[in-house]
Amino acid sequence: MIRARQGASLAAAMVLAAGFSVTAFAQTADDLKNDHLTPGDVLVYGMGYAGQRFSPLTQITKDNVAKMVPVWAYSITDNRGAEAFPVVKDGVIYTTAHNATMAVDALTGRQVWRANHEYPPETLRVVCCGVVNRGAAIYNGKIIRALLDNQLVALDAKTGKEVWRTKSPAPTSTENGYAMTGAPLVVNGVVIAGVAGAEFSHRGFLEGYDAETGKHLWRHYNIPAKGEPGSETWEGESYLTGGGSSWVTGSYDPELDLVYWGTGNPSPWNPRARAGDNLWTNAIVAIRPKTGERVWVYQTTPADPFDYDGVHTPVIATIPVQGKPRKVVIQANRGGFLYVLDARDGKLLAANAFGKVNWADGVDMATGRPKHNQVYRDALAGKKVEVWPSVSGVTNWQHMSFSPQTGLLYINTLNIGMTYEAPEPPKLSPGKPSGTPSVRRTVVLDDPNVRGYLKAVDPMTGKSKWEAPYKSPNYSSTLVTASNLVFTGTMTGEFQAVDADTGKVLWSFQTPSGIVGQPVTWERNGKQYVTIMSGIGGVYALRSGDPNLVNVPAGASLWTFALFDK
Amino acid sequence: MLDRMLRVAAFVIIAASVMGAQRSVAEDNAKIAAGETVYNTYCATCHGDNLVSSGQTFDLRKLPADARPRFENSVLKGKGQMPPWQGVLSSDEIDQLWHYIRDNAHEK
Ligand code: HEC
Repeated sequence: MIRARQGASLAAAMVLAAGFSVTAFAQTADDLKNDHLTPGDVLVYGMGYAGQRFSPLTQITKDNVAKMVPVWAYSITDNRGAEAFPVVKDGVIYTTAHNATMAVDALTGRQVWRANHEYPPETLRVVCCGVVNRGAAIYNGKIIRALLDNQLVALDAKTGKEVWRTKSPAPTSTENGYAMTGAPLVVNGVVIAGVAGAEFSHRGFLEGYDAETGKHLWRHYNIPAKGEPGSETWEGESYLTGGGSSWVTGSYDPELDLVYWGTGNPSPWNPRARAGDNLWTNAIVAIRPKTGERVWVYQTTPADPFDYDGVHTPVIATIPVQGKPRKVVIQANRGGFLYVLDARDGKLLAANAFGKVNWADGVDMATGRPKHNQVYRDALAGKKVEVWPSVSGVTNWQHMSFSPQTGLLYINTLNIGMTYEAPEPPKLSPGKPSGTPSVRRTVVLDDPNVRGYLKAVDPMTGKSKWEAPYKSPNYSSTLVTASNLVFTGTMTGEFQAVDADTGKVLWSFQTPSGIVGQPVTWERNGKQYVTIMSGIGGVYALRSGDPNLVNVPAGASLWTFALFDK
Repeated sequence: MLDRMLRVAAFVIIAASVMGAQRSVAEDNAKIAAGETVYNTYCATCHGDNLVSSGQTFDLRKLPADARPRFENSVLKGKGQMPPWQGVLSSDEIDQLWHYIRDNAHEK
């Protein structure tokens, strides 16, 4: 009797212990929702569902940042661009390359496991903008990522062993122009993933998969089919090759239960092949994570000739709007306008230029449409025009950060224009290249020594508090901390800490290659760390011909820094 | 007389070769232009706009005049993270690409 009772209590203790160890490791839906409040780990792309890339950590300050030193570096064994968002959990960092996923001890840099991913070489025919991967998601003991050949795969976080693998259903294929480079977002057990391919005549979408099993749950096409609302903005069968990718990860608001995701350019770039607004390319969509149902949508650039993808992650914040705090989503758009929308219904609250823009004279606040001018009309008519910004945008995919403390956005921007001419347009079929070859361009510069700025921008006005010039634009994302420090990297490899109040560089470290990655910060045993990948690549490094980048060494590595304390 | 005939013959030969040369220049220019379009369609994404590479991917302007077999082999079969183009590009298009690349080569 006594024995039996003992046995029962032992069993209970075991269950309890098992339960504890599960919760200690499992990243539950609620853990992910609280990510921004738990600086011991970095669980969600963007350092929290809001995508603010803001950390409350204050150990590293303006005064002591000069004493920051590398703690370790880890080789990724790859020469392509290192763009991934590192995930940090229980003292392990998870990061990705296009062909591998890695788990690394966060304090020592020792490899815990590495899983290699192979894909058919033909896959690379439809990768427009760098052979890259932007990171993994973590959920319930699984590391979940997309592969270049349109598969989602879940790996056991402890061992790297594959748990499930799902191929995105038809028509998703390399032959039809699709590729996956973005990091998935997991919301309440649903893995949300997007696709690239608008340069290869695909039809973009978002989709949801079951995080436990990999089962495909839903697909939301960014471009309506015949008969659906918005289909009148596509001629004939052109919606089937109309683009509208979703290659940059979105954000999520738990209170409103809405996922916000940006959509990409219409296909082909050449606007003379298209009629109408081409809904919903270059748009911000708000969807229900469980079903993919669209709740609201706002198109930034209707009938776009200039490849102004609206993919930049919509950042969620509560900011004063006409004196009252309001929950908004903010997007720094490639076309050069900074959009502020009501998070609940997508109502446009502000849209101001945050760089040099000459294709529109602002945005009509009543209709939400750009005020197109002669430059735009001439471009559409096939005339040669000088356009600002270039196809790369005032900012590209590099993520901005938002500090609730300063109320400012920290945005790496480009200062590059183009000549542009759209000749007779091509005829498309799925998979056919439909980007650069469909228009003629040359680079136009204001100042060859200032091709970019890091800017501290007021979301409601688009005006800068300060602008720090850079020789080449930074394709690194930014991170801002409660010490008013901004972390970012340069294409020539300097990892920098910048004063969020002035733009002054307070600390800089030369990493082995160029930086196009995403800095994160976290703490363990009372110490603050900053982690970033180095490894030049991506669209600008490959294509721009920027003379400043000649022979910058390739080679991806993962770095972690902290204050020197011995 | 013989002298005159010789001179006429010489003139005809010269004229013909000049015209031939002109035709082949025109043909080459057409190939270069077509090659640029093929390049922009399939290669610029990794090898750079206007063939200008910062050096992280192979700089195609480095290919010397005698490297055509290597060029064709790599383009058709792929190499490392360079995809194969067999079945996508015709032999005419590869010829056009070669002309375009050689026209912009570092060493002609
Ligand atoms: C997805 C990116 C990508 C695309 C698209 C691409 N290449 Fe490459 N290419 C590479 C890389 C990377 C290398 C270096 C390969 C290596 O040495 O590992 C390379 C190397 C080469 C080489 C040199 C190979 C050698 O013999 O050393 C040639 C020639 C070449 N590419 C031609 C082309 C042509 C022509 C096209 C268009 C039809 C093209 N490439 C499209 C990535 C690409």
